[in-house]
Amino acid sequence: MAVAGGVGVITFREPIRCVLSLVVVMIALSILFLLLSAQFVFVAQIIVYAGAVMVLFLFVIALLGPARETARGRLRFQPWLSGLFAAVFLILIWAMLQGVQYRQPDPADLNVFGTVQWIAVGLFTSYLYPFELTSILLLVAAIGAIYLSRREGDDR
Amino acid sequence: MSTLTIGGSQLDASWFLLLAAVLFTLGTIGVLVRRNPLVILICIELMLNAVNLTLITFSRQLQNAEGQLFALMVMTVAAAEAVVGLAILVDIFRVRDVEDIDDLSELKG
Repeated sequence: MAVAGGVGVITFREPIRCVLSLVVVMIALSILFLLLSAQFVFVAQIIVYAGAVMVLFLFVIALLGPARETARGRLRFQPWLSGLFAAVFLILIWAMLQGVQYRQPDPADLNVFGTVQWIAVGLFTSYLYPFELTSILLLVAAIGAIYLSRREGDDR
Repeated sequence: MSTLTIGGSQLDASWFLLLAAVLFTLGTIGVLVRRNPLVILICIELMLNAVNLTLITFSRQLQNAEGQLFALMVMTVAAAEAVVGLAILVDIFRVRDVEDIDDLSELKG
């Protein structure tokens, strides 16, 4: 289902259908996260991606109008070349996956693994510094977006 | 190969990794083939999500917290990148109508 959504992302001509199939991918992936007992990441995925980012994309599409994509390109051979490149890339990754030596995992309590408390302990103790850095990053992104999207006449 | 016990059933971890690889490759094809800058941004999001799936699979495999924390970081960075990218895109569209990313090629030096 995720793969079908991914194919939809790159094949539909209208951007709005690309976004909607990306929503399908996001939700399928979030269910996989839940299967992998990553509950907090599951909730974050639903809220951040399927919620916020997708609404943002839809707003921009609504703002810019539905621009259908023309099938021309300046480089005629580009789709074939990129298809070839992607095939080689996928084969390389698959070959790499064959060579992965999985080690026996440390036994952990699956009732605790992936819960919000468990994430928070890691996030606020040993990874506090990167956490604070992300808050600065988000602030910078918000200020940058406001600056970029202000109209020219608004300068005061 | 390694099996994960999920909900009482055995599941191979490499299937998750393979799915992530396929999604990442689809995103790569999208970035390379599509002409619309908006769709290219969407494909970048797809690639970031595939990486997240890999991180969380290994986190579950090794029963280690770092993978999930790093996936959260990736999610934050992806959201910030989407915001700034879309703002730049709206700004460009305000100046002129761009349907093809090649129309912007005069930006090069």
